[in-house]
Amino acid sequence: MKRFLVVLMVALMVTAFFAMGCAKTPEAAKPGTLTLMQNKPEIDGVLKAYAAAWGAKNNVNVTIKSIGGTAGAMGPQLKADYAAGDMPDIFTFDGLESYKEWEGVVLDVSGEPWTSKTAVAFKYNGKTFGAPVAVEGWGMAYNADMLAKAGIDPATLTNYDAYKAAFEKLNGMKKELGINSVVSMAASVEMGWVTAHHNFNSLLANGLPYGDLSVVNDLLAGTVDAKRLSEYADWVELLFKYADKGVLTTGNYDSQVGAFATGKAVFLHQGNWTDPNIKGANASFKMAFAPHGSMKQATDGIFVAAPSFYAINKDSKNLDTAKKFLNDLISTPEGHSYMVKDAGMIPAYSGIALQPDGQLSQSVQAWSAAGKVYSWSQYYFTGDFRDKTLNPIYNQFANGQISKAQFVDLMTKAFIANKK
Amino acid sequence: MSMKRENSLVFWLFLAPVLVAFTVVIVIPFFLGVAYSFTNWTSSAKADNALQFVGLQNYLSSFKDPAFAHSFGITIFYTVLNMVFINLVAFSLALLVTSKVRLRKIYRVGFFVPNLIGGLILGYIWQFLFNNAVPALGRLVPLFSFLTQAENLILAKNTSAIMALVIVGTWQYAGYIMMIYIAAIENVPVELHEAAMIDGASPLQRLKAITLPMAAQAFTVTMFLTLVQSFKQFDVNVSLTSGGPSTMFQGKPILGTELLALNIYNTAFLSNKLAEGQARAVVFFLVLAIISLIQVSINKKKELEL
Repeated sequence: MKRFLVVLMVALMVTAFFAMGCAKTPEAAKPGTLTLMQNKPEIDGVLKAYAAAWGAKNNVNVTIKSIGGTAGAMGPQLKADYAAGDMPDIFTFDGLESYKEWEGVVLDVSGEPWTSKTAVAFKYNGKTFGAPVAVEGWGMAYNADMLAKAGIDPATLTNYDAYKAAFEKLNGMKKELGINSVVSMAASVEMGWVTAHHNFNSLLANGLPYGDLSVVNDLLAGTVDAKRLSEYADWVELLFKYADKGVLTTGNYDSQVGAFATGKAVFLHQGNWTDPNIKGANASFKMAFAPHGSMKQATDGIFVAAPSFYAINKDSKNLDTAKKFLNDLISTPEGHSYMVKDAGMIPAYSGIALQPDGQLSQSVQAWSAAGKVYSWSQYYFTGDFRDKTLNPIYNQFANGQISKAQFVDLMTKAFIANKK
Repeated sequence: MSMKRENSLVFWLFLAPVLVAFTVVIVIPFFLGVAYSFTNWTSSAKADNALQFVGLQNYLSSFKDPAFAHSFGITIFYTVLNMVFINLVAFSLALLVTSKVRLRKIYRVGFFVPNLIGGLILGYIWQFLFNNAVPALGRLVPLFSFLTQAENLILAKNTSAIMALVIVGTWQYAGYIMMIYIAAIENVPVELHEAAMIDGASPLQRLKAITLPMAAQAFTVTMFLTLVQSFKQFDVNVSLTSGGPSTMFQGKPILGTELLALNIYNTAFLSNKLAEGQARAVVFFLVLAIISLIQVSINKKKELEL
């Protein structure tokens, strides 16, 4: 037994000396570290490549963590890391509600040089807290070739009546066009972000000046504009009616985008992030965005905004490195090339001459350049409200379990119950 | 040092790694978790984020939530169905592969393989089967032509979506339970069967009077495993239905196939109510512990010793 103890002691001492030795290794310009967590898995590869090149130049080991999925799947990971005291130096958030969740650790970046180059930075109480990752937009993506064949001018698609007439006409031409349905729409619970986030925004922001929160504030206060909601319900009904029922009730992202990309639907209720997916399906037709027709009045614009923002962790030990990383990303040619050419994103900053290749991204840029844009206001409602209260209502409406009158009634009740 | 003391020292020394790991990753988190369920903990950096003791508030608001009550009901329903199906299928498969059927070794492997596929992937595979392959079957076979209609999609309706969960759950887990039954069936002494055969007992009689009672010990284990597995079902639930389709319950639109584990996850991470999710997990733990204790004690009574 004694011998055993001696062996144990020796083993312990050896380990301890070894550990001390490790710590005391002389360091010649030890590389810095930087951790970035972001929510777009589709750009993970190109961002890692950019970060590695940047890191080699600046002697920094950059770690990129990409956490994707629906309904802000990054949240759980960020919470786990926060609880473990292992927050990344830079992370992304999507809007006011998620900013509030992390308010205590988001650095005020008002003085950074890039702030003058963008109009869509995340601001709160007059201070800048987030650097926009990109600009994104959605509307009704349409297959221009099919519309031409049907003799419909996409420029006329700006209100409910125009859409209704167009949908009816296209529905009568199903065989000629070789389509299964007019619209590719998804409303399964898994696709709640299409209905209860994106489509929901038509109710909040369509036809209003950019940044106008009047409807949002009314709804948050439990005051429902019955006329606006009723017109919106007509629009939702129209979309659901002319959608492929299978894709609508049980489809996922791939089946929804796939139906449009393979010419099985004329319209797609999605945004410009579908560009790579549509390209991957070898779609060769012309396409662009038309506005939503959620109102009787004409609404000539699509929904464009920054979908997420980079925030710097206030408690980070690598504040300067983090600031430099974001600055370089925004203001160097390498950063521009990564953003636009590699990641295919629409830059949110001035002074970038490059253009993305995707047709839908170019369409968003065209709408944006013409100033015909409406806000994204869905982030003023909590994820809880959108995903657990609104999503089931849309899903039941799509499944035909409830009528339009019940839809309006449930939505109204939901807003009243949500009043704080 | 006496022999006895030395032995007990060695005993604890060998046990130490496991004990330390068990304490650090099970015991401490468990009690911390129970403690957190009485607070307003969120694990985020909100501006006014002082950790406060809130008493039973998380438990009360959980019980007031119709979605939680619905999840409880639906989980129990799912568990009962799943236990019946898995055990029936698993026992039948075990009888099949312990009989003299040809290629039985290959069958054993084949039935077991689904258990090696991760639940998330399995859910997506079956989602494709239910959404695409089943309607395609309807197009091929005139008898099943009703399957091509969108209203008859299995995942589009609540009741059939739960059945879909049971089918996938059975497909995934029956092979594993089959292995336990195989071991039990093969452990039945051959003499018993031989004696019964000489007395002229039919195969069915032998199954009832010999195999089933002799395998009672295995039933205790398999019932327990399937009970716990079904109650804790999460990954297949997420990828196959995500809790949909929606349904009305107590006048509120809620997710129709959201099992308890998914409800707890959504409460914690979708609604950002971590402490309330934790409270629900504590309730979940208590209920599952009580139910499984009852199950084991009932099954134990039916076991017999040789």
